[in-house]
Amino acid sequence: MFQILVVEDDKDLNRTVCSFLNNNGYKAVGCLGASEAYDAMYGNTFDLIVSDIMMPGIDGYEFAKTVRSLNEDIPILFMTARDDFASKQKGYRIGIDDYMVKPIDLDGLLLRIGALLRRAKIATSHKLEIGKLRLDIDERTAVYNGEEIPLTAREFNIIYKLLSYPGKTFTRTQLMDEFWDAETNTAPRAVDVYMTKLRGKFESCDEFELKTVHGLGYKAVVK
Amino acid sequence: MSEENSMRRRKRLLAAIRRYVVFFLLIAFVITCCMLLFLYTMQTSVEISFTEKGIRTAAILTMGNVLFLSFLCTVIDAVRRRFMVERPVRRIIKGAEKLMCGDFSARIEPLRGIVGEDGFDNIIDCFNRMAEELSGVETLRTDFIANVSHELKTPLSVMQNYGTMLQNPNLPDEQRMEYAKAITEQSRRLADLITNILKLNRLENQQIYPAAKRYNLGEQLAECLLNFESTWEKKNIDIDTDLEEEVFVESDNELLSLVWSNLFSNALKFTEPGGTVCVTLKTEGDYAAVRVADTGCGISPGTGKHIFEKFYQGDTSHATQGNGLGLALVKRVVDIVGGDISVESEVGKGSTFTVRIRRAANGEVQKDS
Repeated sequence: MFQILVVEDDKDLNRTVCSFLNNNGYKAVGCLGASEAYDAMYGNTFDLIVSDIMMPGIDGYEFAKTVRSLNEDIPILFMTARDDFASKQKGYRIGIDDYMVKPIDLDGLLLRIGALLRRAKIATSHKLEIGKLRLDIDERTAVYNGEEIPLTAREFNIIYKLLSYPGKTFTRTQLMDEFWDAETNTAPRAVDVYMTKLRGKFESCDEFELKTVHGLGYKAVVK
Repeated sequence: MSEENSMRRRKRLLAAIRRYVVFFLLIAFVITCCMLLFLYTMQTSVEISFTEKGIRTAAILTMGNVLFLSFLCTVIDAVRRRFMVERPVRRIIKGAEKLMCGDFSARIEPLRGIVGEDGFDNIIDCFNRMAEELSGVETLRTDFIANVSHELKTPLSVMQNYGTMLQNPNLPDEQRMEYAKAITEQSRRLADLITNILKLNRLENQQIYPAAKRYNLGEQLAECLLNFESTWEKKNIDIDTDLEEEVFVESDNELLSLVWSNLFSNALKFTEPGGTVCVTLKTEGDYAAVRVADTGCGISPGTGKHIFEKFYQGDTSHATQGNGLGLALVKRVVDIVGGDISVESEVGKGSTFTVRIRRAANGEVQKDS
């Protein structure tokens, strides 16, 4: 069972978030401040941290910075009332993984925690498995039903990205920026070509589908 | 108070003395000059000689004359002042004091007839216009407060009622679920409202805006639109996009994303399932034009005039979700970035919002990372 640390100074909010997570298959531990959280982390290993920013004493930024310096991989999710860009930016620079603005939607929190944990697992194991499909980041290989699907490096990177965030649509420019050199003058439409190729190569694979979203971008939908 | 009064009296006395001295010097100068000229002419042409005694008497007489004339002038000036300056000044001060005390209906009567000097009439005219503006602002403010309290209290009272009803131990599970859902729904509405009020407030008080950055507008529109993917899938709304590529603007992207999200969410909100929302981006000369069109209920011309006002909702029953702040936010942001927004709409057919923003010089293809 995944263990989640909830750091939030408001007692009621802390209690509701913890009991909601506990009711949904996680084991949540609530702390009312950063120092209490350090104590809790001393004896336990957590899989994910949910933290507030504005807390008396040590604030969320300070806390996240300390945690990051000790553990590079643990997902940190900020849950805060601050919705300005500067606060978000500061958080992401410190190395948090996700940011939610209060009042938070508990169902949304659950979805994000699920996605964060899945990505953390992929990040630590360097492997992605969906049904009979296995992607190995170290070897850059895709194996479906015991048979290897030949992919170029860029094809592999794109499919790996889309499958790491199932259901999330990426625009062509977002994919271009990540997988093409900044110098190339390829038009964003080049992405379309790759999508056609990928669809052809994964034709036999029933586990997921590459969908075009209204000319805006692409997403992988896991069935 | 009395101290102030005596001070004022002393000041007035001092001013009167000063005016008297000025008149005295003026008249003395004029008369001395006249006398010198006159005497000189007399002496050279008629060759009359003066005795010392005669001159002294004449000098004393003249001096007395000068003193008297100066006094007369001062008095006449004081009377003139009283009627032509002090009266209108007092009237203006009275009006200003009334306004200061918060009476925004205060107006100053224009001066009648000959006594009025042009300057005062201008001041009074300006004052009246200012008072009118102020009372307009005041009405808006009270309306705003009334609206805020209405919008805040409605969801609160709904939540309170359901909370009370939930305490009934004999409530069937079905109703318990329904009530709990209603509470969640209302609290979400309240949260949205508060977020919008805070955002608007921040925008209205903010003086310095973050430096503009050059970025790809089409990409921003696509990313913003994708945030609503689940909404249009749930409502089964068709999305039609026509985004010109490589359109760059130089602006604050965070502020502008507020505009797009609000326009998209409105379009999706007012479009019935099965309808279409169309988003286009085109260059029009130096401008980039973004159009968001829906096939929703449309806006009547009467409503169209007010949609950018705070808390205005076309549907006065406040039945449709929303809080009437979205478009006020949009308008404010568009004003800040120096753009222009317009709306075309036909009742029953849908509405099209068009936002125009000045394009950045279209240089080489630049990749932001």
